Amino acid sequence: MEELLEVGNKAAEHAQKLGVDEAEIFFYMQDHASVKFVGGIFASRGGAVKGIKGAFMRLAEPWIKKKGLPIITSGIKAGVGIRAVIKKAIGFSSVSSIEEKRVLEAVEEAVKIAKIRPPDPNWVSLPEPRKPTGQGGIFDKRISDLDVEKMLDLCVDCCVTAGDVDKRITQAMAMISAASVSFGIVNTKGVEVCDRGTFFTAYVYTKAKSGDEEVSSGDFIMSRTFAEDLQPMALNASQKTIECFGRKSLPEKHVGPVVFENVSWNQLFSRVFTSGVSALNVQENRSVYKGRIGKQVAKENVSMIDDGALSDGFGTTKIDDEGVPRQKTPIIEKGILHNFLYDNYAAKREKHESTGNASRQTFFGAAAYANQPTIKPSNLILMPNKGDLEKLVSEIEEGILVKGGLLGASHSNVVTGDFSVTADNAFKIEHGAVVYPLKPCTVAGNFYEALNSIISIGNDLKTNLNVMCPSVTIEKIVVST
Amino acid sequence: MDKTVQHALRVGAKFAEVKGEDTVTRNIEAVNKEIRTVSEIRNVGIGVRVFYGKGNGFSFSNILDEEHVFRAVETAMKIAKASTKKTLIKLNLAAVKAVQEKKSTKVSKHPRDVSLNEKKDLCLRQCETAMEIGKRIANTTSVFGEYHGTIYYANSEGTKVSYEPLLIGLRISCVAKKGKAIVDARDSHGGSLGLTTFEEEAHTPEKMAENAAKWALEKLTAKPAPAGKFNALIDSKLAGVLAHESFGHLSEADFVMIGGSPLTGKIGQKLGTEIITIIDEGLPEKGGYNVYFDDEGVPCNRVEVLKKGVLTHYLHSRITAKALKMEPTGNARSQDYSFEPIVRMRNTYFDAGDWKPEEALSELKEGIYAANTAGGQVQATGTFLFKAIRGYWIEKGEPKYPLRDVALTGNILELLKNVDAVCNDLKISSTPFGGCGKMDQRAFVGTGGPHLRVKEVLFGGAR
Repeated sequence: MEELLEVGNKAAEHAQKLGVDEAEIFFYMQDHASVKFVGGIFASRGGAVKGIKGAFMRLAEPWIKKKGLPIITSGIKAGVGIRAVIKKAIGFSSVSSIEEKRVLEAVEEAVKIAKIRPPDPNWVSLPEPRKPTGQGGIFDKRISDLDVEKMLDLCVDCCVTAGDVDKRITQAMAMISAASVSFGIVNTKGVEVCDRGTFFTAYVYTKAKSGDEEVSSGDFIMSRTFAEDLQPMALNASQKTIECFGRKSLPEKHVGPVVFENVSWNQLFSRVFTSGVSALNVQENRSVYKGRIGKQVAKENVSMIDDGALSDGFGTTKIDDEGVPRQKTPIIEKGILHNFLYDNYAAKREKHESTGNASRQTFFGAAAYANQPTIKPSNLILMPNKGDLEKLVSEIEEGILVKGGLLGASHSNVVTGDFSVTADNAFKIEHGAVVYPLKPCTVAGNFYEALNSIISIGNDLKTNLNVMCPSVTIEKIVVST
Repeated sequence: MDKTVQHALRVGAKFAEVKGEDTVTRNIEAVNKEIRTVSEIRNVGIGVRVFYGKGNGFSFSNILDEEHVFRAVETAMKIAKASTKKTLIKLNLAAVKAVQEKKSTKVSKHPRDVSLNEKKDLCLRQCETAMEIGKRIANTTSVFGEYHGTIYYANSEGTKVSYEPLLIGLRISCVAKKGKAIVDARDSHGGSLGLTTFEEEAHTPEKMAENAAKWALEKLTAKPAPAGKFNALIDSKLAGVLAHESFGHLSEADFVMIGGSPLTGKIGQKLGTEIITIIDEGLPEKGGYNVYFDDEGVPCNRVEVLKKGVLTHYLHSRITAKALKMEPTGNARSQDYSFEPIVRMRNTYFDAGDWKPEEALSELKEGIYAANTAGGQVQATGTFLFKAIRGYWIEKGEPKYPLRDVALTGNILELLKNVDAVCNDLKISSTPFGGCGKMDQRAFVGTGGPHLRVKEVLFGGAR
């Protein structure tokens, strides 16, 4: 880490020599291993597989059960991202390297861009140093020491457990990834901070077949510390799959209450809401919340916070990706909109303080150092209320229960809040109980309207990356099969 | 690179391959009339894959001294050894001819030779045009992107190739507002092209901006889409997503190999109407993203996945081709040096048919015209969801009124049987924004097709 700070300081000095007003060096190093195991073990139960018949027909033999297709990647990625500012013109450049020579080249590139591009009139300055209050750095040595062989064993165990749940399971897939991350920020205003952390994610997916009916589901864990026991997750993945057998169509289009399982609601929530409360989107007319601070935007039972200092939060760090301390920010309290999320740029544009929500992480694609900061939640929490999923279902006279992943959630319209998704694990509710599973159905509505018609909020918080939410019941959603 | 391959053989690998990369991605973003960001990302590094026993292992490094690169080789070996104990199917590589070649796309006005000023003006011109169209246009965001550099590949069988990838794109999004109503629309254009493409009439920044602004304003009056089954006409961009997401992913042989695709065991079977042909290729004539070699050094062939409705090929890496006793097709690709190659598409599209789009529309009578797309997804069972970001309700063969975002859903194998008209206006497009995601990797791809008419599509709507 000290080496990195040193390279950062050298780069900042180099930028100053080249005549910048301000410069910032973000450095990032990730030691990552990801293991995926596809247990093809049960494929023969579903019938012959053309072309590889020989190999697969034998697979149900117990001695061969613990074998499948392992897919493993491990390596270290390091790099820097540089912002150079000259007369309000910001040049950004990054390089996938921490070697001094390449870093200095990247500094020169950023300066070059800053010199020829037009200024950004909204730019004020880089963040000033502020003392972090949160503890940050959740680092579990059991994760950083985890080797690929152990991870592979864990994956195989998950697949075997999941496969043993029911004879109709035809395929089980498990994936575990472990990452240790170090990052830091040096800027010419005196910020010089760093943090480190570990991340552990595990995922099990199963497919089952009975006659012509094929069903699938899964479960996952995301944690900053090592999760010793993955068996409950593996069992749950298979149970969620099996309960989908016997799917029927809806007799007619349903327009009425829908209970969303925590993981399902999380997908819509994280996709739409995180965009709506970004101060930048508000400033630029891309949010329905513009001019709504202090107004009722959701039912009184709805409260939300973003808490980057939450102990053990998946998104908890000492500082954000611009070196600003993480904090707890109330967003909605009892239905009233209180705050937006800010990074340094959006904050200084309207003389506000950054809420420590600058992020360079992207789910797909480039490593953190290759991205410029954007506004993202740290740990965005929809505050839990009472009761589990079963309790929410029991309150419904006639409705639909939507569980599992939603196909198309990421394509929801983040500006308007309109969503139309396909649910593969949905169920009909009658008289407070699940009566039968549904064929894949479309579930459509508007997220912002839904916030105004939440009937119930459960207490079963589940983390998916930077968002935590419980199961919820929405008064009126359109479902058709 | 040669030294790395040699080191791998020295530590016991029976086969070793190395991908080296030095590429640059540049992005310019303008919001309203201001340049918001200008960025450059340089990606340099090396990835190593080794085969040992029954397994293989992959690792990478972006610190390029001998110590770190050799350490990556050793990590890859360690993984291969761990895998070998748990591997059911012995993973081997199908035989290919060793190739030594260098390739590049020649264009006029390569982004590398064009000034930042000129590129930035493309974005500003878009914003200005869009904002002048109406005061209800509340936000315009224009992005220009470029990706180019050199990709190297070498293996222990003597293949040594390199090529210069090239991809540029320009995209405009407009948000329109009226009272509480807020809507958006967009247009984009790109491919393995020089910047002269934005001088063509159909693709000038002004033309694209006009489209996006007009579509956004039109959407202010849009009604929510009805839910239920309707006949539909879908445009080239949406057809492309259909070809890619629906058929493309299911035809990827790594899914087929583990029995995970509903296309498993269906080679030779008729899956769609006779008028449908779906192609995946590296160097399409009608635009898209040029891929010369895949990341196993195999030249990118033209693959007819579905020919006249009949499933004829899967998309293969050398590993899947060996396992299924078929020929490699050059579909093993990795996002960058830090990822292992997996089976990916290149440019996937519906081939042109002979219907004129106007005729297909007029004979549709009543239904939905769905155009442009924000993407789509498909599940291993063939259940898909595609989102069109522009739609119209059709009556008497004519668009009656615009619809808000419409989602098409169903099972792809059923949908292909319901395509009853394929038009003659094939287009393939690709941009450096987004791309296709699979197993945590992103890849640039091209997608396209002509207008398609499909019977009985299930639309998900809020009405």
